[in-house]
Amino acid sequence: MTTAVPARTPPGAAAPQEHRRRSKTAKWSALFLSPALIVIGVFTVIPMLMTVWISLNKWSMFTSITDMTFVGLDNYSRLLGDATRIQAIANTGVYVALSVLITVPLALLIALLLYFPKLKGKGLVRTLLFATYVIPTIAIVIIWGNLYSPGYGPLSAMVSAIGLTPPGWLSDPQWALVSLVIFNVWQMLGYYVILLIAGLTQINEELYEAARIDGAGIIRQTWSITIPLLRPSLVFVVLMTFVNSIQVFDPIYLLTQGGPANSTNVVGFEIQRSAFQYGMAGESSALAVSLFLMIVAVGGVLGIIMKGRRR
Amino acid sequence: MSAVSTPRQRAGRIVQYALLAIVALIPLFPLYWLLISALKTPAEFSQIPPTWFPTAPTLDPAATALTAVPFFSSMLNSVIIAGGATLSVLVTSVLAGYVFAKHRFPGRDLLFWGIIATMFLPPIVTIVPLYYLVSSMGLSDTYLGVLLPWLANAFGIFLMRQFIQDIPDELIEAARMDGAGEFRIVWQFVVPLLKPAIVTLAVFMFVYAWNNFLWPLSILKSEALYPVVLTLNRLMSYTMSFEYQNVVLAGALIASLPTLLVFLVTQRVFVAGIAASGVKG
Repeated sequence: MTTAVPARTPPGAAAPQEHRRRSKTAKWSALFLSPALIVIGVFTVIPMLMTVWISLNKWSMFTSITDMTFVGLDNYSRLLGDATRIQAIANTGVYVALSVLITVPLALLIALLLYFPKLKGKGLVRTLLFATYVIPTIAIVIIWGNLYSPGYGPLSAMVSAIGLTPPGWLSDPQWALVSLVIFNVWQMLGYYVILLIAGLTQINEELYEAARIDGAGIIRQTWSITIPLLRPSLVFVVLMTFVNSIQVFDPIYLLTQGGPANSTNVVGFEIQRSAFQYGMAGESSALAVSLFLMIVAVGGVLGIIMKGRRR
Repeated sequence: MSAVSTPRQRAGRIVQYALLAIVALIPLFPLYWLLISALKTPAEFSQIPPTWFPTAPTLDPAATALTAVPFFSSMLNSVIIAGGATLSVLVTSVLAGYVFAKHRFPGRDLLFWGIIATMFLPPIVTIVPLYYLVSSMGLSDTYLGVLLPWLANAFGIFLMRQFIQDIPDELIEAARMDGAGEFRIVWQFVVPLLKPAIVTLAVFMFVYAWNNFLWPLSILKSEALYPVVLTLNRLMSYTMSFEYQNVVLAGALIASLPTLLVFLVTQRVFVAGIAASGVKG
């Protein structure tokens, strides 16, 4: 955090008046915090604890919760032996890795283009890029479902026009997951571009001036000034891309239902399907806890990188 | 550097503008495709190879979409759900953000970062117990059930705290010296200084709640309560047949208009606010 912490008066030294006022504001603190704390506590923290507990039990969601029986780590060991769920984890890994590897460099290049040169219309382009972020995913699913259509879709027409055989996109197990990654990049790109441009505005102009005087070209400047100084924003964007893509559910549910041949089955979809379609709440929760642990692990590492570089 | 541009610099400009045009096409092309497909007749729509401009544009697909499913009442449902969530998040976030920014008590920062940690907890992780909790409160298939979990969130508190921290302590102290109570301080002195932050959070929450699919899908059963995204899903699933695809696209266009409009009207303030949320984080 950039804000300085105000100097604290040691409790003994506080004037009686100051002390009285502080205990008066304590009531207000509690009152102002309680609505948010109750909502987050009841609908986020308690469900998280329950997810962990349910993951240690056998429970069909179609029966009463009192029928739940404790099975220890059984759901986890079964998870490791279940080929479908292991594939869901692997697919999620590929989806997340591709999303990060495509989104972050692309967003960086676009941010550089939209920040440095004085170009007319770049504000408009920035707005257009961000607009995809506010469109409901289901509408994007419908748009891209049509773009990808093998017959009347323009993407296949374009690929054919340059003399290549278009892939089956969503119906081809080799291409389906990649097609969903492209979809995800398209939807989220503008958001990350905005975050990176915000990061670029924090870099002191004089550094570039000095580098130019020393004879450093554009590439050298980007490599030695922009990227190192942009690192906090870059790590933040990696973190956001990671968290947003690891929980992907909507497009899978709406476009592919995990198919063809399980090639787009991801953890988010498998959690929902196991629980709401098959009723296997225990197995579903074991997968949910695993997803949570993956986020904690990767998020923790990225958080440490971000904090460490800031000092 | 000379003011007169050399041929080399001019060539550089041209390359930069060409790149800018390509970048603009990334969002524009799919949106253009959505628009023209929604205006095509079924016959033209199913042509192979596709036409790149509608020869006989028609509003029939849009009209069919509006009558095939109850679009208008779902719009109203979405307004109630997204509007309710947005108002509540604004109030809870300003109040909590104010306390985290300006009050001091033991454990404050620990509590704050604990709340922030929930920002990285995807809803899919807790969907099973959340569904169980809300159903056992007897709230499945109600507006309240759709709304309750989204009445407050960590992002809003984070954003408000960051912006309220920038308000000088002296201002709040002075208001207190004048005998203003905490409610009045927030309402009369803090809120007016937060306009950009409030617009940003309001747009962000409205878009988030409007587009939220997983939770209404899990908790709602009656089609009369469906928000737009679920109604569009219904349109999509029961008109899978080929000649209806342009109707589905018209539906997608209609369902996207409200959030797009909200965004376009507020985009200057909103984009600046989102940028600030990243830099300050």
